Amino acid sequence: MIAESTTPEALLDETAQRVSEIIIDELKLDDVTPSTFDADLDLIDELGIDSMDLTAVVLVLQDEYEITIYEEDYPELKTVRSIASYVLKRRTA
Amino acid sequence: MSSDPSANPIDPEPTPAARDGGTSDGDRHWRFSDLLADPTVRERWEKVRRYFFLRESTYDVATRCNLRCDGCYYYEGEKQFVSECRDPAAWTELMTAEKARGITYVVLAGAEPALNPEVIKACHGVIPLGAIATNGTMPISKSVGYRIHISVWGDDATSERVRGAANLLDKQMDIWAGDRRAVFVYTFTRHNVDQAEATVRRLVDNGCEVTFNMFSAPVGYTGDLRHTPASLNETRQAMCDLIRAHPQKVLFTPYNAVAHTHTRGLHDLFGCTYPRRNPSQLIGLGRTFRQVRANMEWDRDAACCVPDTDCDDCRHYAAGSAVITARLQRHATDPARFRAWLDYVDTYLAVWVMDYPKGSTLEVGQVDPPPAPRHHRLEAQ
Repeated sequence: MIAESTTPEALLDETAQRVSEIIIDELKLDDVTPSTFDADLDLIDELGIDSMDLTAVVLVLQDEYEITIYEEDYPELKTVRSIASYVLKRRTA
Repeated sequence: MSSDPSANPIDPEPTPAARDGGTSDGDRHWRFSDLLADPTVRERWEKVRRYFFLRESTYDVATRCNLRCDGCYYYEGEKQFVSECRDPAAWTELMTAEKARGITYVVLAGAEPALNPEVIKACHGVIPLGAIATNGTMPISKSVGYRIHISVWGDDATSERVRGAANLLDKQMDIWAGDRRAVFVYTFTRHNVDQAEATVRRLVDNGCEVTFNMFSAPVGYTGDLRHTPASLNETRQAMCDLIRAHPQKVLFTPYNAVAHTHTRGLHDLFGCTYPRRNPSQLIGLGRTFRQVRANMEWDRDAACCVPDTDCDDCRHYAAGSAVITARLQRHATDPARFRAWLDYVDTYLAVWVMDYPKGSTLEVGQVDPPPAPRHHRLEAQ
């Protein structure tokens, strides 16, 4: 979840760490850990995940952060960092 | 469960969500983890999600056919006029390139793909998962481990009239009964609903698996096979009766029946994700799908699973398999709708993937398709 007293940068890093954990867990990525997951890796072009995998991740993120993620926003969810940024934006929307 | 005034319900049995007091239209928010709390549901979710790696494209591998059927989509539009590449080496090269760009599943169609057996073998040699859409009048090498979809358009009299082929079902069964690759696809038109029971019974009595398709008019079609609201309702009833009568051999579920016989077509209900109706090239089918013609070229503006279909009338089983599956998020709103989606995906995998075992139906009663997301509705106002 999201801590209250932290800098925006730290908050983004913390969220990205948790997003990494969720992606690794949901997509059963055995060869990567949250600490080694490149937050700027293109999940679609470089990791090869597609819309169904992404939707599975979206459903867990919605639970975790109590937000709604819109279908038309999927293209924004290209990297761990962009997902974390999107989650934070939705949290404050 | 939400009530869609444009739906054409026939089975008013309450859904599990309705009985539980939960609905998809707002009186309880279901977390995804709540939906997976039922071990049976979680098991089915884990079963189907293993196939999320499937990325399809379709390929016309022949421009010729030994039948000429009224309402055939192939002989509409430009694709019928292209040259036919019959060189297996060229198809091997194409499939290798397709595999390299992430395609893991191929649908070979055409006119009649079985007329080019060496091309089929070449495709299978590179991408081992796939299906062939055939009229079933010619054998296909046992070495090709694709699902074989055999088109059935009614009883023998109807087949003779619409397809110009006498005793067609006997011919098809002579070749394909007992072949575990085979799935007979009964296409409901406006005029053959009453023939489905006897035709499906003949197939099932011969050990054949059956699924259902809906006649969907090609662009500009002026014939009389196009469905009406009444024939959609009759078709839904017939489908549900056949599901109940032959649960082991009829690969279909109540939600398949609802989604494919709705008065609103698939694009209107779910928003088609194929390139022809989806400008996004960033993710999903809009990014990866191609409909390759027999000359090995493709046109993004025409690319969908059954080209030259009138999109407003599209209820194709192939379209639903991709489009409804892709709308997972819209179905993950309550237990009944999520179960219906799982049933749908489990069925589509059983129809399209060799040796995928269809599970028992999870859904109880009728589940309506989900409404468009709320923000879409607001934007439309």
